[in-house]
Amino acid sequence: MSPISRRTFLQTSSATLALALFGLSGTAESATGKRYPSIKIGNLRQLKEGEPVQFNYPDPSSPCNLVMLNEEAVGGIGPDRKVVAFSALCPHMGCPVNYSKGRFLCGCHYSMFDAAKNGQTYQGLASQWLPQITLRLDRTSGSIFAEGVEGLISGRIGNLNIS
Amino acid sequence: MSLYTRKESLPIPPRDAERYTTVCQYCSAGCGYNVYVWPVGKNGSAKSNAFGIDLSSPSPMLSGHSYTETMHNVITRKNGVRYNLAIVPAKESRVNKGDYSIRGGTNAIACWSDTGYTRKRLKHPLLKKGDSFAPIPWTDAITIIATLVKATIDKYGADSIAMKFYDHGSSGLGFEDNWAAGKLFLSGIGTHYLSIHNRPAYNSEVWGTRERGMHELNYDADDARLADTVVLWGANTYEAATILYTEHIMPNLQGGSVDEKKRAYQTGEPAAEGLLVVVDPRKNASVTVARAIAENRVLHLRPNLGTDWILANAVARIIWSNGWHDKAFLEKRTDLKTFEDYKQKSLQLSRPLVEVLAEAEKITGVPRAQMQQAAEWIAKPKNGGFRRRTLTIYEKGIIWNMKNYDQVAAIAQLSVLTGNVGKPGTGCGRQGGHQEGYVRPGAPTPGSVYAGGPPKNVDKYLTGGGGKIYWVGATDPYLSTPNSQFFRKMLKKRSATLLDSIDSGGVPSDPKELVTRVLDAFEKSDGLFMIVQDIYMTQTAGDAMLILPAAAWGEAAETSINCHSRLLRIYDKFMDAPGESLPDWKILSMVGMKLRALYLAAGNQAMADRFGEMDWKSDDEVFLAGSREFGDNRVPETEEARLSPECYRGVTHQILRKLGNTGIQTPVRVDPASGELVGTKRRYRYSFASNDGLFKWYGTDPWSGYPPEVAKYIDNPAYPFWFTTGRSQLVWQTMYHDRYLPEKYLALPLPYVEIHPEDAARLNIKSGDMVEVFNEEGTTVALVYVNDAGKPGLIFGLMYHARGSLNHLTSSYTDPKTTIPWYKGTKVGVRPYRGTPDEAIRTTSLLPNNDVT
Repeated sequence: MSPISRRTFLQTSSATLALALFGLSGTAESATGKRYPSIKIGNLRQLKEGEPVQFNYPDPSSPCNLVMLNEEAVGGIGPDRKVVAFSALCPHMGCPVNYSKGRFLCGCHYSMFDAAKNGQTYQGLASQWLPQITLRLDRTSGSIFAEGVEGLISGRIGNLNIS
Repeated sequence: MSLYTRKESLPIPPRDAERYTTVCQYCSAGCGYNVYVWPVGKNGSAKSNAFGIDLSSPSPMLSGHSYTETMHNVITRKNGVRYNLAIVPAKESRVNKGDYSIRGGTNAIACWSDTGYTRKRLKHPLLKKGDSFAPIPWTDAITIIATLVKATIDKYGADSIAMKFYDHGSSGLGFEDNWAAGKLFLSGIGTHYLSIHNRPAYNSEVWGTRERGMHELNYDADDARLADTVVLWGANTYEAATILYTEHIMPNLQGGSVDEKKRAYQTGEPAAEGLLVVVDPRKNASVTVARAIAENRVLHLRPNLGTDWILANAVARIIWSNGWHDKAFLEKRTDLKTFEDYKQKSLQLSRPLVEVLAEAEKITGVPRAQMQQAAEWIAKPKNGGFRRRTLTIYEKGIIWNMKNYDQVAAIAQLSVLTGNVGKPGTGCGRQGGHQEGYVRPGAPTPGSVYAGGPPKNVDKYLTGGGGKIYWVGATDPYLSTPNSQFFRKMLKKRSATLLDSIDSGGVPSDPKELVTRVLDAFEKSDGLFMIVQDIYMTQTAGDAMLILPAAAWGEAAETSINCHSRLLRIYDKFMDAPGESLPDWKILSMVGMKLRALYLAAGNQAMADRFGEMDWKSDDEVFLAGSREFGDNRVPETEEARLSPECYRGVTHQILRKLGNTGIQTPVRVDPASGELVGTKRRYRYSFASNDGLFKWYGTDPWSGYPPEVAKYIDNPAYPFWFTTGRSQLVWQTMYHDRYLPEKYLALPLPYVEIHPEDAARLNIKSGDMVEVFNEEGTTVALVYVNDAGKPGLIFGLMYHARGSLNHLTSSYTDPKTTIPWYKGTKVGVRPYRGTPDEAIRTTSLLPNNDVT
């Protein structure tokens, strides 16, 4: 079974696809034994501090945010380890979370997740922390790849079970 | 990379998974949950599962189906088989409608798992042997306790036995454990030195309203959606009773309950988006979240610590002077004789309004304009002359305030003055901390100083050398009691004295030899024999001679009511307790029966009888035994006020299993017409709980400054900061579970204080620094979070944490009328801590938890 859904496969650009296939051996294996795809989601040189970029990972129905913080972060990449990515769905009840002031804020019940501290819930209702996306940086090109998810994406029984 | 191991998929319960209903073990909201148990390896599928939903596509947001990383665990039953356990919020519960808090969401991972986070549960009775503990058989533990208790009563009297036991529901086994504790300590042992889990005496925290004829649990959660105005007074609802806030108060503010109001209100009565008044010294998240929703419909009053009753009376006076009080209600439903006292002392009608308000402004620090606005929002009639419907919810900011009795009475009376009791959208009651489940024989001290009290202060008794045995159940007073550093110091000393006396060539395990040595030590010293009954090792238990392992939530069937609807439900048993641990009621039953046998053997029939009727065989049996305490409940609806607020007579575990998440609201009546069991939606619609059914007024005391325990700091420059304490959204109580859950201990690794940015600048400290907070009572080293919740000059501290207590700083003051402490007010000094910060701080977020915009 392909780790990437057919739809994702078709939506992925050829350049990304090549890298995805190339990077396959480096991606994380999920608990279910399936392998996360490696997908190019942005470039370090185009990121502006505090301005999140949306992408989908590991499939098109899972929105995520890529953001450069103003401080070193748990799981951060880049020269100062300031670049992180998280699921954009609140792990409490699946509402969208928005980035501001170093954290993701959910507009439904006001849960707040610290982007520099592993997406930890420091206020609000989410007993589960915000899932963090594992990133890899290609130092030559500045390309940023998503290669795994730490934590369960909201509303799912498994991160890779949805096809 | 991750700070702890995360999950990326969850096992699916198969269609034939065992199913149970339960209620959250944590806060007063009492959210409904569904439990699924199935053998490891026998999972269902995305299309065929016990949830009855298709899991192959993501569930839409707010759908009411949540199953997250923290909602699954693997448990082992006594048969040795490993099972999956899923505990998910119940969509069909009218309390939470599928919603859940950061506490309730961890119900599953907090359950005992021999391979999981909670593996450190107590599993065997333990006897202290020098500097460590050794397991002993239950028979020996019971023999030691019963023999020692009997000998101590016989020689030193029943008051030589001191007790501190929980009296709540939810995490304790509600009505079942409470009835057992009542039988053993109140009927059986008969000591006056009783205290409740969170305070130094055996008292109600709200005699100020109960002695008016109004029990504190009188409203329904629906009223928070139906009210024109909700008042949160010293109740940080968003952080401490979260789902009451998000499912009932928030929709009202957002305008989502207007249609519901139209259906509940009178014809032609205006129904609009709700107003919220928050009275709290801190601009915490309960304020900032509400403001983010409806800036113009939120009023925040910030009284100086200890002054709330002056504020409540001032608001009441404005209402009176404007004629906004409910004259018809006052005349029909309240006692006009005692009302004269209230008019004189609380409303101060003999003084001009301007003078009263000027004085109130000076004492409370709340501007008159805000008092005026609060009065309007609480009581100014709506268009068409309809009375405004106001629900007032108060909690520890009032209860654990200076002058507990007068504070509670003032707020209850403000509500009754405006007729806000017994109708949809009204009520005046506690928010609650835990859920409730109280049924016991009559307490030795029936009420406040005005009704046979006040009760004894057990802390002062013990620290002053009184008592021989101290039995603590499911609470950790070394962290939680006021002035806890001193308390701990004295109890450590007395426990060490006892241990030293009996440790001659080691501590004997033989019960007879041990008891002989302990009794000898009692005679020669002030040594204290501590018994701690709990689910984990605690700070207090470290100094105990005997530790008794108790069953936790989910390990025995129990029943409790929530606080916002008095909704009685079953919290079913779905797993086995670890090792040899037993439900508290069973432990207490074994001790009671042993005491009975010892007294019978000694030919003392009278004492033996006191320990009778404790041989319950099942949890259902204890529940039924307790129900008889409530007396006859065959009364019509119009006489519900005569019933005990938690009366459940006629209800059985079997009935509750059928009712599941629906439950039944106490007091439960047997309707004389139909013979059916009927619940009570809201209380005091027809009369109050007094002899003549009328509300009894009380003239509160005038302002007379602070008690000596705090007044000594007022003009002392060494203690420039006011200090108050409270809870955090993230952790529950002493973190007895949370200290083992990475989602919690990584986020809140240390005891902490919150300091205003101006004070932080002056002290040259920032978030993530450590400070020593000190006064003459004690010191604590705490992590600093800088935010603007408190005003400059006010420091907030988490009451206690697994790794330290801010209650070191609270004074030993209690209200002389009720023996309730003032946990939430004293003064302190602050020293930046110059050592290397604990590395634990690296994992915590330093972002301000009250900034939600």
